[in-house]
Amino acid sequence: MKLSMPEELLLLMLDDETGRLQERAAPSGDYALAGAVLAELALAGRIDSDPNRLWVTNTTPTGDALLDGVLAQIAASKEQMDSKHWIETLGADADSYRETLFQRLVAKGVLRQEEGRFLWVFPERRYPAVSGKEEREVKARIFAVLFNDEIPEPRDALLIGLCRAAGLFSLFLAPHELDRVQARIDQVSDLEELNRSMSDAVREIYAQIARYAPMV
Amino acid sequence: MDITESTAGSVKVAALKGRLDTATAPAAEAKLLALLEGGAKLVADMTEVHYVSSAGLRVLLKAAKQAKSAGGAFALAGPQAPVREVLEISGFDKILAIHPTRDAAVAGIG
Repeated sequence: MKLSMPEELLLLMLDDETGRLQERAAPSGDYALAGAVLAELALAGRIDSDPNRLWVTNTTPTGDALLDGVLAQIAASKEQMDSKHWIETLGADADSYRETLFQRLVAKGVLRQEEGRFLWVFPERRYPAVSGKEEREVKARIFAVLFNDEIPEPRDALLIGLCRAAGLFSLFLAPHELDRVQARIDQVSDLEELNRSMSDAVREIYAQIARYAPMV
Repeated sequence: MDITESTAGSVKVAALKGRLDTATAPAAEAKLLALLEGGAKLVADMTEVHYVSSAGLRVLLKAAKQAKSAGGAFALAGPQAPVREVLEISGFDKILAIHPTRDAAVAGIG
């Protein structure tokens, strides 16, 4: 089954055993999810970008309601903004994207929905994987690019940049493995302007956190 | 975008002219990939390309990938300063051979 990039990214952000979102994927996970939507629109030929701006090239709907909503939102913007602006703006809607994507992955039989209680009190919904096959396939694709020197497909380069932005590689790899492939992760990710803009946006969040942390 | 083909010895040369972006990427990609078939050596002469967007860069990436997997070669020649800057920011200069002139590119992969 073919999954869209936002669907793949959300699967990678889930803790396989508990079906909960990895806490370490937040807050940059919101930007990564927004980036995944933009990446899929870019590969569908609906938007294009350069270091200074991101623009709509084709308003024809893709047939994916989530992507098409974002496409319409960008098309309706009076001013032409850069990728970072859109990553930050769309990142604010990440909760609703996640909800939509979880429902889709359940409908496709990739995840199952479980209602439970967190700390015996708080209602909590979890999404454990049904077989985990889809996530294993995505990871295998990513590692095939990282652990060899082949030139990546644009789709894989974009996905690797999304994982970098969401901080997922420190969950996938042991520290010594991460040290070994960090340069390759950066090389592949930086091929794509969207990935570089996502990193800039994420760096700013952490700079803000560092600035205000002593006051808390 | 106009693409003019020629040959220099055993090397094919595709001279691109105009903007390489979403509007022109599909046709440029089809052309470059067709020229690379059978493990050919191809130089994309960028002298008259004044703009490359993200979609345009993906075309160059796919061409380089195709060349490598088919046992051919792919190089860029003569990118203008703004295009060269985009290639450097994205690290394409580490993956692709980029030469200052068409002759240098032909000599480089010939």
